[in-house]
Amino acid sequence: MNDKMPLLNLLNINLSINEVMKLVRNLSACMLLLLFLVSSLPVKAQTSPARAFDNVTIHTADGKTINSGTVVWRNGIIEAAGSNVNIPFDAYVIDGGDSLHVYPGFVDGLALWGSPDLPDRYERPDRPGKPGYERAGIQPQRKPSDLLNSKDKNLEEAQKHGFTTAALGLKGHMLPGQVDVFFINGENTGDYLMKTSAGILASFEDAPGGFGSAAFPSTTMGVLAQYRQLWYDAEALMNQQQYFASAGSNYPAPAKDAVLEALYPVLEQSQPLYFVVDSKENIELLLRLKDEIGFNAVIVSGKEAYKMADELNNRNIPVLASIDLPDEPEWKKKEKAAEEDTTQAGERLEELTEEMRIFRDRQLRAYEASITNIKKLLDAGVKVGYASNGMKLSDLSGHVKTILEEGGLNEDQLITIMSQSTADILDVGGRIGDVRNGRIASFSVFTKPYMEEKTKVIYSVSSGKLTEF
Amino acid sequence: MDRFSKNKQRRTAMKKLLLMIFILGFATATYAQEKGSVLVKNGTVITIANGDMENTDVLIRDGVITEIGKNLDAPRGVQTVDATGKYVMPGIIDAHSHIAGVDINEATNPVTAEVTMEESVDPNDINIYWALAGGVTSIHLMHGSANVIGGQNETLKLRYGSSMEEMRFEGAPRTIKFALGENPTRVHGQGYGVQPRTRMGVEQVVRDHFDAAIDYQRNREAYLQAKAAYDKNQRGTPPVPVAKNLRMEVLSDIIDGEVWVHCHSYRADEILMLMRVFKDYGIENFTFQHANEAFKIAPELRKNGARTSIFADWWAYKFEVYYSTAYNASILNANGVNNSINSDSGELIRHLNHEAAKTVHYGGTSKQDALKMITLNPAIQLGVDDKVGTIEEGKHGDIAIWNGHPLSIYSICEQTYVDGKKYFDRAEDADDMRLEVNPEENYDETYTRWYESGKEEDSCLRGAEILFDSEGMSINGGTE
Amino acid sequence: MNNLRFVQTMMKRLSKIFMSCLLCFLITDGVQAQITEKPGFGKFAITNATLHTVTNGTIENGIVLINGEKIEFVGKNAKITADYQQINAEGKHVYPGFMDSGTILGLQEVGAVAVTNDQAELGDYNPHVRAFTAINPSSVSIPVTRVNGVTHVISLPVSGRIAGKGALIDLFGYSPDSMAVQPNAALHLTLPASQQRGWWDDRSDKEVKEAYEKSMKELNEFWKKAEFYNKMMTAYEQNPKGKKQPDKDEKMDAMREVVTGDIPVIITADKKQEILDAIEWTKERSDARFILAGVEEGWRVAEEIADAGLPCLVSTLYTPERDFDNYQRPYQNPGKLHEAGVKVAIATGESENVRNAPYHAGYAATYGLGVEEAVKALTINPAEIFGVSDRLGSLEEGKQANLFISDGDPFEPMTTIEQVFIRGYKIPMVSRHTQLYEEYLNRDAVKN
Repeated sequence: MNDKMPLLNLLNINLSINEVMKLVRNLSACMLLLLFLVSSLPVKAQTSPARAFDNVTIHTADGKTINSGTVVWRNGIIEAAGSNVNIPFDAYVIDGGDSLHVYPGFVDGLALWGSPDLPDRYERPDRPGKPGYERAGIQPQRKPSDLLNSKDKNLEEAQKHGFTTAALGLKGHMLPGQVDVFFINGENTGDYLMKTSAGILASFEDAPGGFGSAAFPSTTMGVLAQYRQLWYDAEALMNQQQYFASAGSNYPAPAKDAVLEALYPVLEQSQPLYFVVDSKENIELLLRLKDEIGFNAVIVSGKEAYKMADELNNRNIPVLASIDLPDEPEWKKKEKAAEEDTTQAGERLEELTEEMRIFRDRQLRAYEASITNIKKLLDAGVKVGYASNGMKLSDLSGHVKTILEEGGLNEDQLITIMSQSTADILDVGGRIGDVRNGRIASFSVFTKPYMEEKTKVIYSVSSGKLTEF
Repeated sequence: MDRFSKNKQRRTAMKKLLLMIFILGFATATYAQEKGSVLVKNGTVITIANGDMENTDVLIRDGVITEIGKNLDAPRGVQTVDATGKYVMPGIIDAHSHIAGVDINEATNPVTAEVTMEESVDPNDINIYWALAGGVTSIHLMHGSANVIGGQNETLKLRYGSSMEEMRFEGAPRTIKFALGENPTRVHGQGYGVQPRTRMGVEQVVRDHFDAAIDYQRNREAYLQAKAAYDKNQRGTPPVPVAKNLRMEVLSDIIDGEVWVHCHSYRADEILMLMRVFKDYGIENFTFQHANEAFKIAPELRKNGARTSIFADWWAYKFEVYYSTAYNASILNANGVNNSINSDSGELIRHLNHEAAKTVHYGGTSKQDALKMITLNPAIQLGVDDKVGTIEEGKHGDIAIWNGHPLSIYSICEQTYVDGKKYFDRAEDADDMRLEVNPEENYDETYTRWYESGKEEDSCLRGAEILFDSEGMSINGGTE
Repeated sequence: MNNLRFVQTMMKRLSKIFMSCLLCFLITDGVQAQITEKPGFGKFAITNATLHTVTNGTIENGIVLINGEKIEFVGKNAKITADYQQINAEGKHVYPGFMDSGTILGLQEVGAVAVTNDQAELGDYNPHVRAFTAINPSSVSIPVTRVNGVTHVISLPVSGRIAGKGALIDLFGYSPDSMAVQPNAALHLTLPASQQRGWWDDRSDKEVKEAYEKSMKELNEFWKKAEFYNKMMTAYEQNPKGKKQPDKDEKMDAMREVVTGDIPVIITADKKQEILDAIEWTKERSDARFILAGVEEGWRVAEEIADAGLPCLVSTLYTPERDFDNYQRPYQNPGKLHEAGVKVAIATGESENVRNAPYHAGYAATYGLGVEEAVKALTINPAEIFGVSDRLGSLEEGKQANLFISDGDPFEPMTTIEQVFIRGYKIPMVSRHTQLYEEYLNRDAVKN
């Protein structure tokens, strides 16, 4: 108490101790309030109608690289993108210092981010042969937008990996639900629904439960039969509903069936099935089913799609390809490491039998075939996009590296696939997918070129909203 | 790198190149679904239809046997194979198989007629090649025995290297799997608490579903007619839709005779039961599979035109086969029942010729009849006897060349042809005849798929093992 | 979980029902199920036959004299007195009875009916458990087997780490005592797996290694204790004066004759790594005697097996272990082992299909082993391996009269096995299968 007094004396302020304390208290409160107000203000939006990145390298989806470029956006739409751009007077500019790289926001053609998890275990139904739609994994009526868990860490992680848009699906089995396209904005993703019901997610997954608690269908052939039956049932219900509507009287009221009704647009081919398939045989089965009961399809994952490349091209079926590549064979990894380790050059040549040599040859060739899947699809003219379909974001950069180094794709091709191509397949290609005038502002700013080691996203702009990392 | 390792590298590279050429050659040769031509000269031809013909030539052109005779000339571009001292017989047909399948049992319901093995084919199964090496050219890929009325089966030709679609035996009649006895009552009655739990229940499941199918057929027809009328005239009250029901459609087709029944069964009384049921519903075309006790009712089987497809000598693995005899085939044959020998196993299919020989051992069936049981008889049971099963002019070029009489244990199959195209040649056989390679499977992961080793009695139950494993012997015993 | 308990109760209930059904059948169906014909016994003379002695070549137009349980004479010239029942075997062949070195015959009756299965006891270490106790002499499969020429088999327990002791039995007799050639023929051991057990095993490499090391440690300690126990007991037995009598440990007691090498240990090992692990393990235990069984990938490490001097019990009718194996490997396996210098014997692993042992051998013969060696694999080789070659395994004077007469090569399915002798008994060539054949070939025929 006494220590404070000398200071005040120095300032020639004659105040009692109590008065001083009161003053200090009031001032602190004001300061805190001001600080709070200032920090909570979205300074950017309110004080500047437009925003811009200046002195950045822009990488467009059609393969152009613009050095010392500028991107301007307002109201969530890109106003200008290129070099020699006039920056509007009211744009808040972030200077890239010619060291930052702008890429179109990556589009994930089918991600399971924000989806509720599947139960740990499933009870055996009383009648395994009649488990009911839900237990069988038949839930095409469910919407990601209704069930989105915004707290899912992936929604923020995704932006850090360069994603600004994703077609979200739900975890499930045969028909998990609809596909809703969102702008990815971390916790706020739920507010940024771009397009609902872009399609219905489908697969040949059998009903969950496994041994002992199985429910119909528990085999691929069972699933196929179930698809047919759903189509027949939906058709009958549709007819009954139509007849009921047209008949004035003397006609029984049809049941309401959310599952079957959700399939109407697919039957009428106004909405596609986003079909998850990988093996050649399953793709063949998919095409057979498609020809028989009639629906439009977009292939998701398609790890062996290259084996059907021509067929898919002829039928105009796009592939939202997986980059979840297989691991390189162990022995190959060791071989590579040995080659690079010059201290052990030529010392240890592993004893290989002829049989092992043949085995390894074939294994390597199978590996190479898997990692060149996308390249072969592109070569055949198939429309290829990207989908994670559950792949961990942390695995992405490793696989990207492999696909650029050994998978036969160059950087431009990869960027296009992960942006404009996927946007096109999702039927929103006119709105997003590239950094250009008129498009919705969705792009990522990396500290280094995307392919370089240790590149990071420092800014993510998603539907105009900027997040700094 | 020193000179030694450089040379080694060069050698390895050379080997790789040669290997690539070989693989490419193999790949291009097999991926086109071709029919072939070949002249097989001077062998002892076991025609099955017309006895054995010594020093006889068989000419196959574009997949069809065009001529059988002596001193035939090879047309231009047709290769000749010298079969002097060898035996040429029709490709073996296995009327009960689960190789080349993806799933075997849709075991969740006692009746699953709507599923079909046509959509459960794995064309890359190495077992296909191993079967070709045993002289087998066609198989009846069957649904498993978990259900009273199981899924539809698919008759395939072992065109190793073809796609799923290309392996189908074009023109083969549709068939469906039924199962009686312990398996369905164990899976559904005991396992799921769903009828049937007894043989009594099994009968009712069949009858109930047949009745439902007849009702469905009638109602659906009526609806379709009413719909057509209403849609055209737009007058009156519209009909209430009867949804197309895939299961009922298939059951109707069975009753209409368009789908042939192959019924897994063991006990004599349950076989009689099903014949009684079939009589009531006018179903005439059926084959009893396994039918270990068929010998007890051979006269009834013959009277009803029933056929049988059985093991050579498996028995005692379940109670319903405790009273079996390896003389089953001989008894049936002697009593005029059309009988075939099948494998129901990826192991037995490799030596079905030897299994057939056992019918000579147990009961003195003639050699000709023994061979018929793996050629013409299964062809008849699968409805493809107009195309395969014998070596006759006009039939498909599905043959195998053996270095001795096929019923001798010392005989080895040397070449196997399907549609005149060679799919197996012992002289050109190599290790690793896989079509597809999993890049993530390592060399020492020696996984024998459990359904292939040793005892296969449960291969029919694959996918429905649930809780009742048979306590099979394993000399590879031991747990971990 | 409720479902599982329900199922378990159901299973228990059903087992009871099955058991009573089975008993009913066996009792009331007596006439059909049991063989009522009596065997012959005494003095027999088989004449004019081709004798495949195995150890002394083939004798044309030979004579075999059987007197009681033993073979009295094998040769070309013998004076046959009137008290010998003559069997003119002109054009026929005589072979020593075949032996199957690895079965669960008599232990398993109906595979799917748990209560009829006695081959797998609970627990991992059961050296004291004996197949001899549980073999059912009335097993329906025994007559079915012997009429095909298999006259004696090893019947083994199979489960856990140390499954128990197998017995070498003749396939004729009314009690295990009268059937047993060796009540304790061998111990059956399965080593821990150092690799994944199969495609369903998705444990990580680390997990596999840890489990392996733990199990190995356990086994090695068990063995060490067994060696110590034997030493201790021997010391006490030789001179009990002044010593406190140690308590008896059943399991350790059972291990005594094993660690001393008095009875051999059959180690089941199929995959290459399992075989190599087994060879390694046996090297460190030179007092005991070891035999390998299964050995499906033996052809990959035939040299190593030969170097270790381990005999192998093998079959041929299974599918290749790896899907990139050549299709012939199972058939070729015995031949390749033999080529490298390994002694092979046939073990089918079967219960009701042990009768197919000659066909396993036939396939081995066709694909490299050769007929002569294949016959040995069913006769003298297993006899030597199990230390009974003084009484079985060949047509030699003084040996037990286990033999059969066939009208041709017993490997050929077209051959008929006409008459079987086991321990001198002329076996009725009758089994459930032949009885059903007799009854149903002409089912509706009536006697006038």
